[in-house]
Amino acid sequence: MDYFRSGLKSVLGPPPGNQPTGAETVERLVSRVSTSTLLEDRRDACRALRALSKKFRLEVGAQGMDVLRQVLELDRSDCEIVGYCLDTLCNITAKQTFEEEIDNAVNNVQLNVGEDFTETFVGEQFTEMFLKNPENVNLVLSFMEEYDFRVRWPAVKLMTSLILSKPKVVQDIILVSPMGVSKLMDLLLENREVIRNDALLLLINLTKSNANIQKIVAFENAFDRLFDVINDEGGTDGGIVVEDCFLLLLNLLRNNTSNIHFFKEGSYIQKLAPMFTLPPNLEEIGWSPQKVSNFHCMLLLVRTLVSPNNPAQVVAACQKAMRNTNLLEALTDILMAAGVPANILTETINTVGEVIRGNLTNQEYFSNVQAPSNPPRPVIVVLLMSMVNEKQPLTLRCAVLYCFQCYLFKNEIGQQTVVHTLLPSNEAVASVTTGQLLCSGLFGNDALSNWFSAVALSHCLVDNPAQKEQLLRVLVATKAGAQPFGLLQQCAVFLQRTARLQSKLGVLMLLAQWMAHSQQAVKVFLGVSGAMAFLTAQASASEYDDNEELLQGLCAFLMGLCVAFNDNSEPNYSKENLSQLIEKRVGIETYCRKLSEVSHHEVYALAAKQPQPRAKHSGDLLLEYEFCQLFKSMEGVIYQALGRQRDLFSGISELSLSEHENALLVQYKELIREQDKQIQELAANMGACKMRCKELEAQLDDLQETNKQLVDQNTLLRAQLAANSSNIAIQDRHLDLSSPPNDSENSDLLEKIRKLESDNATKAADLDRIRKDQDDLLELLTDQDVKLNSFKDRLKELGENVDDGESDNNSVESENS
Amino acid sequence: MSYAYLFKYIIIGDTGVGKSCLLLQFTDKRFQPVHDLTIGVEFGARMITIDSKQIKLQIWDTAGQEAFRSITRSYYRGAAGALLVYDITRRETFNHLTTWLDDARQHSNSNMVIMLIGNKSDLESRREVKKEEGEAFAREHGLVFMETSAKTAANVEEAFINTAKEIYEKIQEGVFDINNEANGIKIGPQHSPTNPSLPGAGGAGGSQGSGCC
Repeated sequence: MDYFRSGLKSVLGPPPGNQPTGAETVERLVSRVSTSTLLEDRRDACRALRALSKKFRLEVGAQGMDVLRQVLELDRSDCEIVGYCLDTLCNITAKQTFEEEIDNAVNNVQLNVGEDFTETFVGEQFTEMFLKNPENVNLVLSFMEEYDFRVRWPAVKLMTSLILSKPKVVQDIILVSPMGVSKLMDLLLENREVIRNDALLLLINLTKSNANIQKIVAFENAFDRLFDVINDEGGTDGGIVVEDCFLLLLNLLRNNTSNIHFFKEGSYIQKLAPMFTLPPNLEEIGWSPQKVSNFHCMLLLVRTLVSPNNPAQVVAACQKAMRNTNLLEALTDILMAAGVPANILTETINTVGEVIRGNLTNQEYFSNVQAPSNPPRPVIVVLLMSMVNEKQPLTLRCAVLYCFQCYLFKNEIGQQTVVHTLLPSNEAVASVTTGQLLCSGLFGNDALSNWFSAVALSHCLVDNPAQKEQLLRVLVATKAGAQPFGLLQQCAVFLQRTARLQSKLGVLMLLAQWMAHSQQAVKVFLGVSGAMAFLTAQASASEYDDNEELLQGLCAFLMGLCVAFNDNSEPNYSKENLSQLIEKRVGIETYCRKLSEVSHHEVYALAAKQPQPRAKHSGDLLLEYEFCQLFKSMEGVIYQALGRQRDLFSGISELSLSEHENALLVQYKELIREQDKQIQELAANMGACKMRCKELEAQLDDLQETNKQLVDQNTLLRAQLAANSSNIAIQDRHLDLSSPPNDSENSDLLEKIRKLESDNATKAADLDRIRKDQDDLLELLTDQDVKLNSFKDRLKELGENVDDGESDNNSVESENS
Repeated sequence: MSYAYLFKYIIIGDTGVGKSCLLLQFTDKRFQPVHDLTIGVEFGARMITIDSKQIKLQIWDTAGQEAFRSITRSYYRGAAGALLVYDITRRETFNHLTTWLDDARQHSNSNMVIMLIGNKSDLESRREVKKEEGEAFAREHGLVFMETSAKTAANVEEAFINTAKEIYEKIQEGVFDINNEANGIKIGPQHSPTNPSLPGAGGAGGSQGSGCC
């Protein structure tokens, strides 16, 4: 933070007069956001900060970042303020420089030297600060779940801006964030198009070169959703959103075998195929620039699925699906269609090439496609006509070569068909053939055509001994009426005669491909007068300029092939003679250096990288992929062949040794033989010992295993035993303890009970007696009462007034009743 | 290659228990004794038949290593079935099952069918986990259980197919919401919407409509 403050001071200089500077305004606003208790105030301040965040980006970022982050956490329920915050953060972390910012910087330019630096990197710096706490990313992710437009949209934009600045960091955080990718994928279902479209951009940047995220995105039904969007937007006629969808698909599939497999298994190639069908009226309405872009992306998508860099199994499965869904058919239709833009046509040719590459059925289909010319010609012929035509653009010619190479790749039938068109036959050939085109291109005036034709022809010979032989039968007449020459001789002569490096390299590659593993071809070549002299001269040359080292290296390579595949039938150029020639005239060291110069050349490295020939300028086309493969595999063979020749060479001198030396030699040989025998015996012994050791180890293992089991059992049993005995002891003790006290207690109790019972009996008797007394007394009382009453009556009769309560009561009673 | 249903599976479990080999045996019918460590997640697919219906299985084979755990978690939610694999010759892989199960239950949808698999049943001599223990664990946690061998292919087919059967039954019972793709189930593009045996026939028609356009 201090860094920015100090930078700030130098940017702004001392505050002039009364007018508050931008920095002061920002400072006031920031403090209001952090101290104000009223939501409205905070909201207003945030709105103001957002307005200033472009012009005073440095100030807002340096002072406001923490406060803004706090607001996001504390005021997250208020969509408006969250929206302002997200917008502000988006501005300060943006990668691009704003116009307002430049204006601001221009005003203060007189004071600063290192300003350019800060301006350019300020967005990235703020992004880095924001990303220091991974929780911030999760916070922004959580705002994607908020439906409110004012929150969701800026959240998407902020995330995009973060990813653009620091892709790797954000990718890693999202990857481990729970449901992080899922939240982003849900945005593709958004019905507010602006959010959905921005989410597409977000996902495009998120999925760049991160296979794990690509796979999760695909798992979250990305393919389905993207095809839905593409169809909603009008397919290939749709706008830039369609292109974005294709770009995302490309990201998901490029170099991601698992996703390609999923794409193929999910039958998405079926969904792709109909989009390649051109509408019948396209020629009239023409191709809009957007349609060209969309189409280009689609072609790249197909190429990504069948790229030669993918595992062969996956490529084969995709190629099959593309044939079965008529995608290949649609592509070849485009080749034939009128009015197709040049770059689409070029890319289609490349795409067709990769769709048929190494797949016999597709190659056969392609060879049978006829162009609708008059008379109909095979499409291959039409394409090759463009390849050897100087007027065609370079990329198109390269594409045709690539397509042709793909057609011949692992296709013996195709190779045979092409070579066959060159063989002398009785059939009158009415129309132009592939072979004729290539031959005329090979010896024509255009260096590039020479190169293209030579490379194309060399692909007819790759791994195909039969065609190497067949091609030797081909005769060519350079001029009408001239003596026909063999094709190989013609090549060798042309090699010496032409001055153009590109042509020479092309022919050398053709010859190398031809002569590798073919003694016959080598023999024919050695028969050409001056050929070997030319090679020797080139290989031994010590100076070169401008890629001539390639020429020298290739010549040396061809010499090496002549040694390695020599049947010694040319007495002047037997294996031995040739290797001596190399050693004496060129020198082994020089020779090896010439070879290694080729494989260390950047042209070689570039060509060996991928089968497709690529070039910006026609002069860049010097070496070619299949040749590089051949060079790689033959280099060792050549060294070996030369080495063996040298050994034989020194072997001859054995005869010239003195008798004593010879005896010594024999002695040593004997010794070596004996030692050899010993070694063998020991080795056998060793093997037996090892075997025995292994057996013993196994036995030991078994024994240990049983031992372990036994120990286990033992402990188990012991434990059981211990458990059992202790159980019994406990039970016993329990019994001992419980019975005696019970007995004495019982007898005590019984005693008590008996005593109580007897007590009870006496008491009952007493009670009975008392009751009886009471009854008697009661009886007596009644008698007395009766007597009393009779006495009272007699007194009343006698006229005595008896005044007592009882009679009063009686009278009252009687009155009441 | 039309299908009535598409099920998404994941395979989980400790590293080295044979998840990738199980998948390879199921999709390619071959065994690769030396298999590279899976990095992140790999995809495989195969068609099977249940109740005379074509069912497409899309299977994501996950990395068992702890380092990839946070990545593989992203796959739980969208899966209809999970194969939880342990190695019968390594006790610790069995002991970790609870962790795996908790993780799966926490991140997946509640209807996900989980099949417990004790792999490497061909290595009887090195067995450390009894079959009964696996059965007991499965019973306790409500899982389907099976011992397999990716090497001899024993029970491999059954493991994948029985899981599919279980899911299929759940669909028939109407437990799964088949229109929600997040459940890892999709209805095939050519699937007849008027199929009387299907409880959610109307819904199926709707999803078909959206799949076509």
